[in-house]
Amino acid sequence: MLNLNPEFYTVWNYRRNILINGIFPACSPAEKHETLSNDLSMTTAALKAHPKVYWIWNHRRWCLENLPDGGEGDDPQAWRRSSWERELFIVDKMFDRDPRNFHVWNYRRYVLSNMPVPRTAASELAFTTKMIESKLSNFSAWHHRTKVFSSLRTSSELDIHHYLPNEFEIVHNALYTEPNDQGVWLYHRWLMGTGEDRQLLEREIGVIQELLCEEPSNKWCMESLVRYKQMLLQNHSSTLGNSEAQNLVRQCLDLLRKLEELDPARRQRYQDLAAEVKT
Amino acid sequence: MAPTTLLIDKHVRYIQDLGKHTDSLAYHLTAHLRINAVYWGLVALCVMGHPDALDHDDTLAYVMSCWDDDAGAFGAHPGHDAHIHATLSAIQILAIHDALDRVDVPRVTAYILALQQPSGVFAGDAFGETDTRFLYIAVNALALLGQLDRLDKDKTVGYIRQCANFDGGFGSVAGAESHAAQVFVCTAALAILDRLDVVDVPSLGWWLAERQMASGGLNGRPEKLEDVCYSFWVLSSMSILNKMTWIDADKLIEFILSAQDPEGGGISDRPENMVDVFHTQFGVAGLSLLGYPGLQDLDPVYCMPASVIDRMGLRKGWKALPRRPL
Repeated sequence: MLNLNPEFYTVWNYRRNILINGIFPACSPAEKHETLSNDLSMTTAALKAHPKVYWIWNHRRWCLENLPDGGEGDDPQAWRRSSWERELFIVDKMFDRDPRNFHVWNYRRYVLSNMPVPRTAASELAFTTKMIESKLSNFSAWHHRTKVFSSLRTSSELDIHHYLPNEFEIVHNALYTEPNDQGVWLYHRWLMGTGEDRQLLEREIGVIQELLCEEPSNKWCMESLVRYKQMLLQNHSSTLGNSEAQNLVRQCLDLLRKLEELDPARRQRYQDLAAEVKT
Repeated sequence: MAPTTLLIDKHVRYIQDLGKHTDSLAYHLTAHLRINAVYWGLVALCVMGHPDALDHDDTLAYVMSCWDDDAGAFGAHPGHDAHIHATLSAIQILAIHDALDRVDVPRVTAYILALQQPSGVFAGDAFGETDTRFLYIAVNALALLGQLDRLDKDKTVGYIRQCANFDGGFGSVAGAESHAAQVFVCTAALAILDRLDVVDVPSLGWWLAERQMASGGLNGRPEKLEDVCYSFWVLSSMSILNKMTWIDADKLIEFILSAQDPEGGGISDRPENMVDVFHTQFGVAGLSLLGYPGLQDLDPVYCMPASVIDRMGLRKGWKALPRRPL
């Protein structure tokens, strides 16, 4: 039934109920391990054919969560450890076919947070670097990178300020290679945070202005310049001179007028932003 | 040539005929979504001004035949296990027909509330897959049943906050990438819970506006293909945030209309593909929010005919584009 229709959730439930009530009670740990390993193999095959079916991913999670203690040697975690480790390998295989599949990304984060021996955040960061290098426009990988950094920050495993120069170098290279890629601009926006650092804002405005000279009709450059100039106005008004502030307002309004012409589908938004800048 | 008007008669016939192919394999291979399909078809019919195109008594009898008495909720088809998604569809169909008195409200409420996890998210069923989709479904269903007071709202909102990303969007679980459908479920849940203060409106409004592609169609994430169903996921969020004017409505209307099947009726994900009732409903829903002439209003918060939500006194502050004259 499940080969015919892997979304038939009632049959998945039925199967699990048979395992829980009919099979496992009479099983040795080794037999239970083997049964669940077989089900894991079954879902591997099913995912190859249907990589976006929630129910298959669910069953996989259920199998992993029900693995018994035991394994080769006296380590009670041995089976669990080897099964969870293998999951990251499966995830890599799935990414070879579709590096944007959000089921796979969510599953990866699930595996990382549940595996008996956690991976270091540094190795996860290296993984996102590899994914980004193979395809710059993979926003899923950029997004994941923001989450890895956030987890690093809370676990104090490393100081983001130590990483920032390198991050800006990566994102500048990406912006110059793919200046029309929305995802890279989003990542830049994340790096900039709330714009408390005036020097950083001014430096990045300079970088983007240079890029705009090379790409005079790039709307992402203009959009970002408006945002960062607005941040200067909002967060640093006390240290800006009067004429400097007026200049920034004028520059924002000029950019927004250009954006209206360049991107008429979103004209109303640029007009709304201009009204905001004026106040 | 691509159609340039909404072929209402064809779509009504297409939806009416969906339940008649009981001897085809495709009918049986989609049984796990049957009650959802009835809901999608019924809402599309209501929006197109044909609320009576499906037989009232047959529809109610079908819904009640999906009741799973062991679980105390509805399944996707007679004999299928209860699931929160099927349960919401059942409640929505019954609400449209003003027949919620047929629901065992205490049992269904208990079923839904028991699916809330310590983190605040909801599971879809007893086996525990969690997702903000199920959280929204729980909030929507409890609101329709008049049981929202039973919900731990702070805990629920707390989980939505965990799913918020720096781009203003929301993901399916904490840590997940922003996705237009998850933006809809989180934004609409916050609207029902009167907690839109949680939304970073400038960032999310921008992110939503950038979903429109050169074709006029909307995609669900950066650098992905456009698809008719995002017309609803994106527009519902935009109408809740009062940002409907931030995209080109004419181009999107043109895109949705071009995905119709001019012979057999129905709407597909994008032009030239196979139609289905899911994309038919979300295409029609998008057109309604865009002010397409001759359509009835759709409430984007509950994804229900606005007249039903108004009758129940549940309307929240959303704003669609004004209805264009015929």
